[in-house]
Amino acid sequence: MSRPAVRSLGQDSVAAVYEALRVRLANGQRFAALLGRGDPATGTVLIALVAHDGDVTPLNATLPAGATRYPALTPQLPAAFWYERAIHDLVGLVPDGHPRLDPLVLPHRNDGSPLPRPGAPGQPARIDPDEGALSVHLHGTGVFTIPHGPVRSGVFESVEYLVETPGEDITHLRIRPHAKHRGVQKRFEGMTVEDGMLLAERVEGIASVAHALAFAHAVETLAGAEIPVAAAMIRVLHAELERIANHLDVLGKLTEAAGLAVATARFGLHKEHILRLVGALSGSRFGRGVVVPGGVTALPRLPAHQVTTELDRLQHAINGDVRALLDTSSFLDRVRTTGPLEPELARTHGALGPIGRGSGYADDCRVTRPYDGYQQLAPPPVPVRGAGDAQARMQVRIAEIETAFHLARQAVGRLPDCDTDRLSVVMQAGAGHAVGWAEAPQGEVLYLLELDCHGQIGYCAPRSASFHNLMLFPSTFVGDVLTDFPFNEASFGLSIAGLVM
Amino acid sequence: MMWLLAITLLALLGAGLIDLVAGVRYAMPRSVPYLVAAAASVLLVVVGAAGISGAGVRLSLDSTLGSGALGSGALGFGTTALAVDRLSGLFLVISFAAAVPVSLVCAAWVSRPGRVRYRTLAATHCLTLGSVVVIITADNTFLFLLAWELLTIAFYLLAGFQRTKADRADAAIITVTLGKVSGAALLLGFLLLAARAGGFSFAQLASVPRSGLRDAAFALLVGGFAVKVGLVPLHVWMPRGYRAAPGPLRAVMAGVAVNVGFYGMWRTLELLRVPPGWLAVIILLLGGFTALLGIAHATVQTDLAEVVAYSSIENGGLISVGYGVALVGAATDRPPLVAVGLLAATLQVVAHALAKSLLFSATSGLEDATGTTELESLRGVGHRLPASGTGLAVGALTLAGLPLTVGFVSEWFLLESLMQQFRIGRLSYALPLALAGALVAITAGFAAVAFVRIVGLIVLGPRGPAEAIRSRDVGPLGTAGLALLGVGCVGVAAVAPLWLRVLIAGLDPVVGRDVAAGALKSEWVLQPVYSEFSALSPSWLVIVMPVLLLGVLGMSVAFGRGRVFAVRRVPAWRSATGGVAGENQYTPFGFANPTRKVLANLLLTRSTITVLERETGGRTGDPHRSAAGAHLGYTNDVVEVVERFLLRPLHRPLLLAVRGAKRLQNGRLDAYLGYMLIALLAVLAVVAGLA
Amino acid sequence: MPWALRGLRNGVVTTHYPCRLDPYAETFPAVVQPLVPGSSNLDAALCPTGAIGTQSESLRVDAGRCILCGRCVRERPDLFGWVPGSCTARLNRQALVVPQLPETAEAVELLRRQLAARIRRFRRSLHIRHVDAGSDGSEEWEVLALLNPVYDVHRLGIFFTASPRHADVLLVTGAGSHGMAEPLRRTVEAIPRPLVVIAAGTDAVSGGLVGPSYAVAEGIGDLVDVDVWVPGSPPSPFSLLHALLLAVGRIPPEGR
Repeated sequence: MSRPAVRSLGQDSVAAVYEALRVRLANGQRFAALLGRGDPATGTVLIALVAHDGDVTPLNATLPAGATRYPALTPQLPAAFWYERAIHDLVGLVPDGHPRLDPLVLPHRNDGSPLPRPGAPGQPARIDPDEGALSVHLHGTGVFTIPHGPVRSGVFESVEYLVETPGEDITHLRIRPHAKHRGVQKRFEGMTVEDGMLLAERVEGIASVAHALAFAHAVETLAGAEIPVAAAMIRVLHAELERIANHLDVLGKLTEAAGLAVATARFGLHKEHILRLVGALSGSRFGRGVVVPGGVTALPRLPAHQVTTELDRLQHAINGDVRALLDTSSFLDRVRTTGPLEPELARTHGALGPIGRGSGYADDCRVTRPYDGYQQLAPPPVPVRGAGDAQARMQVRIAEIETAFHLARQAVGRLPDCDTDRLSVVMQAGAGHAVGWAEAPQGEVLYLLELDCHGQIGYCAPRSASFHNLMLFPSTFVGDVLTDFPFNEASFGLSIAGLVM
Repeated sequence: MMWLLAITLLALLGAGLIDLVAGVRYAMPRSVPYLVAAAASVLLVVVGAAGISGAGVRLSLDSTLGSGALGSGALGFGTTALAVDRLSGLFLVISFAAAVPVSLVCAAWVSRPGRVRYRTLAATHCLTLGSVVVIITADNTFLFLLAWELLTIAFYLLAGFQRTKADRADAAIITVTLGKVSGAALLLGFLLLAARAGGFSFAQLASVPRSGLRDAAFALLVGGFAVKVGLVPLHVWMPRGYRAAPGPLRAVMAGVAVNVGFYGMWRTLELLRVPPGWLAVIILLLGGFTALLGIAHATVQTDLAEVVAYSSIENGGLISVGYGVALVGAATDRPPLVAVGLLAATLQVVAHALAKSLLFSATSGLEDATGTTELESLRGVGHRLPASGTGLAVGALTLAGLPLTVGFVSEWFLLESLMQQFRIGRLSYALPLALAGALVAITAGFAAVAFVRIVGLIVLGPRGPAEAIRSRDVGPLGTAGLALLGVGCVGVAAVAPLWLRVLIAGLDPVVGRDVAAGALKSEWVLQPVYSEFSALSPSWLVIVMPVLLLGVLGMSVAFGRGRVFAVRRVPAWRSATGGVAGENQYTPFGFANPTRKVLANLLLTRSTITVLERETGGRTGDPHRSAAGAHLGYTNDVVEVVERFLLRPLHRPLLLAVRGAKRLQNGRLDAYLGYMLIALLAVLAVVAGLA
Repeated sequence: MPWALRGLRNGVVTTHYPCRLDPYAETFPAVVQPLVPGSSNLDAALCPTGAIGTQSESLRVDAGRCILCGRCVRERPDLFGWVPGSCTARLNRQALVVPQLPETAEAVELLRRQLAARIRRFRRSLHIRHVDAGSDGSEEWEVLALLNPVYDVHRLGIFFTASPRHADVLLVTGAGSHGMAEPLRRTVEAIPRPLVVIAAGTDAVSGGLVGPSYAVAEGIGDLVDVDVWVPGSPPSPFSLLHALLLAVGRIPPEGR
């Protein structure tokens, strides 16, 4: 790991940052996030994260005290649409020229009353949700809105999809995800690194390991620490098992949408076996408590050969069912051409994870910015499909299950040869900023972490793939009807908890 | 009895005169002509009943009017009389049983303040009814055609009455144009027959021997009547004409007057007996297609009047299919098939006359109270307008063919009649019958969708805003009219076997009553004439279904230990959402959208989304960038395929032909003398050549 | 057809719980308990959620606050230990605190009788409406796992329903975000009575690591009247199953 540790925050103007961003994007780098922090009264900082081979670079622009507005990035870079809404929600900055500053991660009032501003230092005011109706965006004869959520039909996370439709077609879709905003980012502030680790595992519960890894990487970057090889392998093992469980969950939801009860049951069974395996290895069905800054807590509680046998058995069983699924034409008819994401849009947006890879855009940080065991192991083949529909996303996931098993087996295989006496390094992370990343099942997870001189967290902004990708969801309903909705949603496979935090 | 007929005609004439003299100036007598018309209609039902019973009412115009303009001697059209035989009697009863309540509704409608600004409406009403009487009772081609043209004029006046409506002129012109086409076809058909028969009375026409000429006349007559019935491709006047007509007068056109078209078809079959086989096949297929096209449009239209009008086309198609079955039976000499086809069709005529009158009457009530017939604006108004709302519901359920209504009985009969296709060995008949059966079955399905939309969203839908209602419901007289029609829709089904006996007697001239009597399996059970095929007792249903409903209710009360009454009312479940601005439940448009997509090939549905916003979600060029901005525009329309691809392309060549013909008519005496000379020379040449 | 055969492939995988003990349920590390009765000087940072404390001279662990991070067991194996088993649901918030006070036991017994009287009409069929009030997403996975062939709650007459109109049980996950307070209230209003409310997960019981704050409440107890409390972060499917059976009185309130 040869990453420069502490990076200083620049003092560039917003325009300079935008220009630098433009040049970097023109050179094929990827816009990864736009974050804001501070209080408009005392000065705010805008941070654009740019991902490229080998690193994620933050570009900072400081706004002077009292500045409440800045020129919006969205008109030049549509991918910033939600980021600037989130900045508006959390910090209270108004991006001038932003097309629509509806509440996104935080319910707030549009009547001019002050925003809660949890992005600012200090305790924000309690959220007082405004349930005032949003205006419609679609106009015409007989057009109406179907609300899906926040309490949805089935066991789902709370999110409100507003389908504006003339009946049958999904002509326009809006997302109101803010109902389950938990104030995670604020919660990080003042925590110790150890506690922050636990919170990071609960930012996006279904990708606990990936979030823990991204957080740990940020801390390790600050400390300049190198983790033991055995720990790196154990991290890979858990990250890949988590990937398999998530992709099985998506397959189960897809087959459930198609009413293939046996297939749903089979994939549910496999997923349960994976979770039990994770539980048997670590004590937690979600691999929580495995990753700590500097390494891992313990060795897997099962011997390596037993893990390998179990992995072989599971992979064999899963492969059989996947093959049967790919032979079920009634199912394939439902996912084919459903929810198409234009490759061009995927590229300009920088779509992450299986969603980007289903539309021909691949940026897998296990390969482009390898971390932990991925540096030692052979880089995994990154499956890419070009069709961009739900089927392509599903095919990418199926291929990723295959590589995940392969990687997990490799990682376990290396374990007996490693020095397993030392599983974590003791380290002292100094004050400063760092970016950590990991490839979650949903795509790249980023953590922008700032530690103060006491080793406590001053600022921690997680950026999940769910946030970055769900922005694209409304663009994928070209020609789709209401019954296609569950397929498209399942094929995105995102987590609302990771979105609004 | 014959004097009764004369009195009714004179009464209608007098009522018309009252309107012309005092119609606009004084409010009091405004409803009088309609009440007189209602009374006359009652008398006409009595006359019709006498006719069905075989009393043979005959009002000879030769003796009544001496040797007047219509007399026999002077013009050589033979003896002329208004004669009510069984078939005429049947159609008198059907038409005027509907005309009584419709006239009442009209009377209630015109007595409201500010209603009538121009004279002639009541006169036109009387003219319509009078023409219908004469058409149904004429025993002579000449008189028939005269009344037919009068009816065309009456329709023209009705369609053109509301001068403030934007599309009135078009509607009136297309109505009268197709009326003239119909008249021309009838004239040609009758003349072809009369030339051979040597006389103009119907009895003489029947004596023409079977030949290609007679077949052509059969086709021309059926084609002429098909215009009135709304058979594709001659239906285009119907939705526009009906929609343009004022208030409940639509019911007069669609519920009462339309029956003359069916009468004409029945009469043609009675006179000419054996149709050409190809005509039967064409009528079957066209009927099936008409039904589907009509219901497809009825399902997706956004205007209540147009929905009801398109359902008229659908019913015209269904009835024509039944008629087609009868034609197949006649062409293959199978009297039972004629009987089942005609019985099915006549039952459908009855159902349609009642339900359509009811629907249009109720529509006028809603339109009156809300000022619109747009479905989107009418949502939930049924709660506040109980009489019109209930009327609309009963009418819609009848035309959707649901049990307990006469529509269910007629549709059952129609499908059963089509299922008899296996009895015909010849593929050339069996195949069209099967195809028509499939089309009718699809139509029945979509009819349910179309009318569930009406009932579900307008009558039962969530209570609409109070401000949508501008005035009160139809009033006692109107309510009485609606109630009569509603009771008719259900009552006829309840006593369907009795009613079937009436139909059998009335259809005696066409198909012998000994054959048709096979439709009664037993006292209260119906069957499709052929025995051992299937059976139905609508009367039993009327008893059993309410009993079952009560039984279920009673059981839920008993087993629930009274807890069904302990109700805690909460808002409807809407995913616990905080709500959205604008429409947040199914609109009539949205409800029909799946149909619009499923039948996209038939309706040529096009929908466009105007992108008013950039990819990111902002409205282009909108300085006020807030959540309140408009972002996307959605439009959707359907195409009337027949009009677009058949009639529109004919428009220009037709105009060119007319222009060419006009050149012949240049008004110069020498040119006319020249034509005569050429004609004379041509005749001489032919004679010389033949010699 | 191929799927029908595939369904038979692994034979019966379904657990026999609650008729017979399930080995996985018995060995699952679901609760942390103090090993010794006496008190000891404890580092305040030992527990991130403050689940550990001393009360009347003895250590106590509030399972309702415990997020099962295992830090206390790692740091002080002399004082704390994992207790296997999945019967973690309780009818009283106080009953989640170990060791239990005697008056809590009495209160629980009272609650059990009251609940039993209320739910007599449920008989053997139970319909559940789930609401997420700010969970981290993992609770939903464990709830959904109840439907997979291993747990298969349908065999017990337990079903998940989309409409709250058909629901008998409201299963709430998450710490109770303020944004979900109103939707949750609407859901409760839409469910017919009698109604049993289950708070599933440490977040739902006490707010866990995220609550209380400007955005979330201190568990959903602030928002609705909870009948059954299930700790766990997330609670394992067997714990959830235990809670459901406890809610309808099909197993004794103190499973162990």
